[in-house]
Amino acid sequence: MNKINILFFATMRTRAKRSSLELEIKSDTNVAELKEIITAKIPALEASLHHTLVSINREYAFDEDIIPENAEIALFPPVSGG
Amino acid sequence: MKPSPFPTIFSITEDEIDLNTLLDKITLTSTGAAAIFTGMVRGKTSRTGKAQGIKYAPHETTYLEYEAYKPMAEEKMLQVAKEIREKWGVVEGIAIVQRIGKLYPRTPTVLIACTASHRDTGVFEAARYGIDRLKEIVPVWKKEIMPDGEEWVEGEYIPTEK
Repeated sequence: MNKINILFFATMRTRAKRSSLELEIKSDTNVAELKEIITAKIPALEASLHHTLVSINREYAFDEDIIPENAEIALFPPVSGG
Repeated sequence: MKPSPFPTIFSITEDEIDLNTLLDKITLTSTGAAAIFTGMVRGKTSRTGKAQGIKYAPHETTYLEYEAYKPMAEEKMLQVAKEIREKWGVVEGIAIVQRIGKLYPRTPTVLIACTASHRDTGVFEAARYGIDRLKEIVPVWKKEIMPDGEEWVEGEYIPTEK
């Protein structure tokens, strides 16, 4: 098993009503599978997950990417800084 | 890649953006030009338009509240600076600063400055590229607080690579 920490920002944090979540996942889990696991834990996120950006260890990540050991994951909407 | 001998300043901060201090840090003895872009909170939006994918109509803004995923935001600012240097080898110093927290109308929220030996080196374009990329890949978000409610502003750019 792989213990990971998930961070939520902006609308994702508001909808999840929390800023982080610790999870244990199987070692070969990819980003798409992780989204399903998160949705099962926090159903309020289901509607927004299709346009959510995901990062793994502070780099953008995509559905087929495998989650590495002890990863820091973040879920957030397209950015709006400036 | 060998490290650039030129200064690169980048930060996410809750403090006021101090242009003179930043400019001093990116000015070398060979520098003769600086292109500076700074954005500020607009209290009154008078035109209809589209920014970061969101359609807006004329309205008033009480303040904006900025939030950042700080460690990733700073890494992505460094990536923006690296991309600028790959495209404009003449750029000497680069400063990229995003202020976060509660920011009221007329307050500068972001600054990007590039320096070079002369103004005709592409330094204007380099600064323009910097602010455009920051708005695409640096993980910062703002919530707009208006007299009659509040709303998170979401961008539209979907990154296709790390």
